[in-house]
Amino acid sequence: MSDIHFEGVTKVFSRGGRPFTAIDGIDFHVADKQFISVVGPSGCGKTTLMRMVAGLDHPTAGSVAVAGREVTGPGPERAVVFQQFALFPWKTVYDNITFGMRSKGASRAERDEAVAYYLKLMKMEGTEDSYPHQLSGGMQQRVAIARSYAIDPGVLLMDEPFGALDAQTRTIMQEELVRLARVNPRTVLFITHSVEEAVYLADRVIVMGRNPGRIREVIDVAQTRDAEAWADHPIDDVMEMPSFTHLRGQVWRLLREEMGSDR
Amino acid sequence: MVATTESSSAGRRRLRLPRQLLIGLATVVVMLAIWYMLTTSLGVIDPNRFPSPGQFFAALEQMMTTGYAGGNLIDHLLRSLVLVVSGFLVAVAVGVPLGFVMGYDKRAEAFFNPIFLLLRPIPPLAWIPLAIVWLGITDASKMLVIFVSAFVPSVINTFTGVRNVNRTLVEAAQVHGATRGRLIREVYVPDALPLIFTGLRLSLQAAWTTLVAAELVGAFLGLGRVLSTAYRDINTAMILLAMVVIAIAGALTTQALGIVERRLIKWRTGP
Ligand SMILES: Nc1ncnc2c1ncn2[C@@H]1O[C@H](COP(=O)(O)OP(=O)(O)OP(=O)(O)O)[C@@H](O)[C@H]1O
Ligand SMILES: [Mg+2]
Repeated sequence: MSDIHFEGVTKVFSRGGRPFTAIDGIDFHVADKQFISVVGPSGCGKTTLMRMVAGLDHPTAGSVAVAGREVTGPGPERAVVFQQFALFPWKTVYDNITFGMRSKGASRAERDEAVAYYLKLMKMEGTEDSYPHQLSGGMQQRVAIARSYAIDPGVLLMDEPFGALDAQTRTIMQEELVRLARVNPRTVLFITHSVEEAVYLADRVIVMGRNPGRIREVIDVAQTRDAEAWADHPIDDVMEMPSFTHLRGQVWRLLREEMGSDR
Repeated sequence: MVATTESSSAGRRRLRLPRQLLIGLATVVVMLAIWYMLTTSLGVIDPNRFPSPGQFFAALEQMMTTGYAGGNLIDHLLRSLVLVVSGFLVAVAVGVPLGFVMGYDKRAEAFFNPIFLLLRPIPPLAWIPLAIVWLGITDASKMLVIFVSAFVPSVINTFTGVRNVNRTLVEAAQVHGATRGRLIREVYVPDALPLIFTGLRLSLQAAWTTLVAAELVGAFLGLGRVLSTAYRDINTAMILLAMVVIAIAGALTTQALGIVERRLIKWRTGP
């Protein structure tokens, strides 16, 4: 059971000596094994919200609780896939993927097995001894995702993980993520700038607004997705289905309102 | 795919090497020729001011056989090398951990930094008189001076490397369950390693610089001793020989450090 409970979560930064409210009183509940996409204009506090779940930042007021326990610091049960990949340049693919597993005391055999499993799943066989700089951006991102998946975290936090990828690789990664999520479902907070991506991947989409950062609306996708059996179609086809374009339009309109709200 | 990238870049490097070597050799040959012409065939330069190649090689021969200033080349070189390397190693053994602690922990920085700021502007050679008063004209006093000069760059560069550690990588390690020990060993150390080695290189250079000055003040053996004796004898060939030996020894020790560095930092992109 790894649900996330936001209770009156407020984050005030000091910016140039003045207080700045980045997040203003967010109340929200993410059920166990639910996939949540978060979209919102730049600077609305998406990363800040995620960092508070990770325990890398702390709420000024209110609390974040995961699996019923208040978050006080970082831990492997809340793994993060960072936007900039954040692979260890001095570690091979093998050692990067198994970094977190070693924290949990996994044996050599378990680690070998996990690396073989993820590299096969991500079509990266034979790269275990490569260093990150020898990989393409897309490959590095896959390794970063495998590193987090491999420790089987209760909560997976992903901050624009595909932002640096070209459109083609991105599509492949989205399908891979859906496949991974189906094989091994877990609670996910997925931040993105792409409305398509948000709707395609999520059970629910959170649209955030800014000044101050807050939740503008929550849109349910799971019901439509299951009813229309998106999972049985390739991603390109899904994105042309009326059920998909309807939801996408709904998210888009909200987002546009938020973006125009103080310009 | 990965393997090809690696081997092709290595291949390119291997191809480039002979040409670089050739150019280097050509430079040496041209310099030798000019040197020979100016001092010997044209006689523009007075051999009392600058030795001819003939005198230089005669000095080298003397140094290798009967010796000069109390020992032969190996005696002098070994003594200097031992001083430089031991002074350098002690400086690194103290300086790198100190710089690390200062970079890692703000309280340690607050404690050590004032001392450091006070000592840092003092030129290493200004320690020579005090070192001699304390320890006499001994190897220990020379080692102390070498230590002081080599210490500073190790501390500063290690400190900078650790203080500017990649925060995202630290966080990446934390959210994947790294303990403090692993965080230091597997993130801080490797991330700071390139700068630590920059510090070591500067420390080594400082050690050689200080060695000669320390030996000039007083020594029974060593390259500085050769220099000061040759200066009194107005033996320009010997002076030049000592200078060349110091240059080569300095270059070789720096090379050795470079080999260690490449062994340890094998994940680097560039050469
Ligand atoms: N450490 C900090 N100190 C001061 N202000 C901060 C800090 N971190 C974030 N902020 C501010 O908080 C607000 C929200 O930042 P955050 O990074 O969470 O936005 P975001 O929604 O992730 O934006 P983007 O989509 O551009 O990544 C921004 O206005 C930012 O300037
Ligand atoms: Mg962000």
